[in-house]
Amino acid sequence: MIMKEQNKLLIPSLAITAPIVAFPTVFLFYVSLHQYILFIQEIKFIWLENFNNIITSKEFLQSFGITAIFVGASTFFTLLFGLALALILNEDLKGKGVFRTLFTLPAIIPPVVAGFAWKFLLNSEVGFIGGYILPHLGYGGSVLGNPKLALLAVIMADVWSRMPLMFLILLAGLQAIPPDLYEAAEIDGANYWKALRYITLPSMRSAIIIALIIRFIDAFNLLETIFVMTSGGPGIATQTFPLLGWKIGFQYYNLGEAAALAIIMLLMTILVSQALIRRMRS
Amino acid sequence: MSTSIHTRSIWTKVVLYFILSIFLVFFLFPIIWLVISSIKTHYQTLVIPPKLLFKPTIGAYRKIITGGMLKSFKNSIVISFVDIVLALLLSIPAAYSLARFKSKFNENIGFWFLTVRMAPAFGVIVPMYIVIRYLKLLDTTYAVNVAHLLINLPFAIWLLKGYFEELPLEIEESALIDGANRLQTLIWVVLPTSVPMIISVAILTFMFSWNEFLFAFVLTSNQGVTVPVLVAALAGTMTFDWPLMCAVSIGAMIPAFIFVFIVQRYIVRGLTLGALK
Repeated sequence: MIMKEQNKLLIPSLAITAPIVAFPTVFLFYVSLHQYILFIQEIKFIWLENFNNIITSKEFLQSFGITAIFVGASTFFTLLFGLALALILNEDLKGKGVFRTLFTLPAIIPPVVAGFAWKFLLNSEVGFIGGYILPHLGYGGSVLGNPKLALLAVIMADVWSRMPLMFLILLAGLQAIPPDLYEAAEIDGANYWKALRYITLPSMRSAIIIALIIRFIDAFNLLETIFVMTSGGPGIATQTFPLLGWKIGFQYYNLGEAAALAIIMLLMTILVSQALIRRMRS
Repeated sequence: MSTSIHTRSIWTKVVLYFILSIFLVFFLFPIIWLVISSIKTHYQTLVIPPKLLFKPTIGAYRKIITGGMLKSFKNSIVISFVDIVLALLLSIPAAYSLARFKSKFNENIGFWFLTVRMAPAFGVIVPMYIVIRYLKLLDTTYAVNVAHLLINLPFAIWLLKGYFEELPLEIEESALIDGANRLQTLIWVVLPTSVPMIISVAILTFMFSWNEFLFAFVLTSNQGVTVPVLVAALAGTMTFDWPLMCAVSIGAMIPAFIFVFIVQRYIVRGLTLGALK
């Protein structure tokens, strides 16, 4: 039991780090229950008024719809394409190592740069796509100035920058499947698609759900790419929750309401990921 | 992979390579386009249809230096390296303690670790902004450093804790019986076996810090500006100096690309780390 005696020595390191770790979330709760407006000295405790103001506002509902479309579409396409790529690059192809490395690149590019790259490409005057290819296809207008296309564009930019991560996670899941499962299937006369349906996908269940959780949290909280590309516009066409929160907190200086929205988002995140985790375990 | 389920006809392979090429164009074209545009003159970037042959210039890169923008690169480098050092120094002992020091308290602590990562950044920055403003540290690299540490530390502890829990206890126990104390055991017995994991955590810390935009954007205005803030600021102005913006973007990508080619297996490991736990 020599280990137990020595355990006392571990307390100092925990005593230093625990407050650092707990501080942001604890203080966030505190702020959310107060009327906390920057540059106004008085801070008033107002129970759940901030939450009430947020939920009953028109912009909250609009943003909810936009967030749902953005998160849904972006999650769906990153996972679908990521899975397709993982399946292809798990094949016995020449040069797959090079492909894997190249496909990893967008995952490590700063999100603001990803946003800028697409903003530049889609620019209707000088962009390669927006100013050259699209006019040839018959669309000469501005992409990021059009509400529907702007939303599509930020989804595409997000798929571009986040699909590689999904690909890596799913490829890791794919490579963890024991090969003897396929040998047995082959004896039973299964073809590739049958094996995919009955062996590959079921075996990847937890990898897929984990990828889904990570992707959901990531897309739900994404700010940078949209901020650089459209700042939530035109109008509020791409104003997902994080952009709404940014506007409330740092343009209207209403930190209390921004904190309340952050906590609402945090609760939604916890609910969704708990539900997904439960599916994974069942 | 010798089963017939995995043997492919030549045509299947052609189709697969075709699909891969489409993805390759989609992934690489924006990056290549940034590189090409960064070595054009301002006038050349405005020409539509774009010319494939032009005389390259490094004028945009020179402008980064003459325009005083190197400072944000210096800030970003300092912030991310200080962050790696602080995050490792604090997270290794804390994670080790949590892994070995079982109590009710630490069963629940995992929740707090993850909330910071699950909460939206604009929310996490609210308390940080209030405190840093109160401490009069706005627009300093310290402010950004502290903010990044607050995000990186819980994540690093959580990852390392999971790793340390998997290590066999026997060697540590015999070191303790031989008279080493806990700190010595950690340094001489545990750490040497954990190097790959620690490198992965260091890379994750670096990438978060180097790429992070919102905290740096809120906390700095002039002196403490980091590279992502510079990119966003340039992209938001109306005087579009495309070659310069592309050159700064390339500069922002370079450290990560260097990492990819030097420590590729740690990168993939680092990126997927969250998934394996």
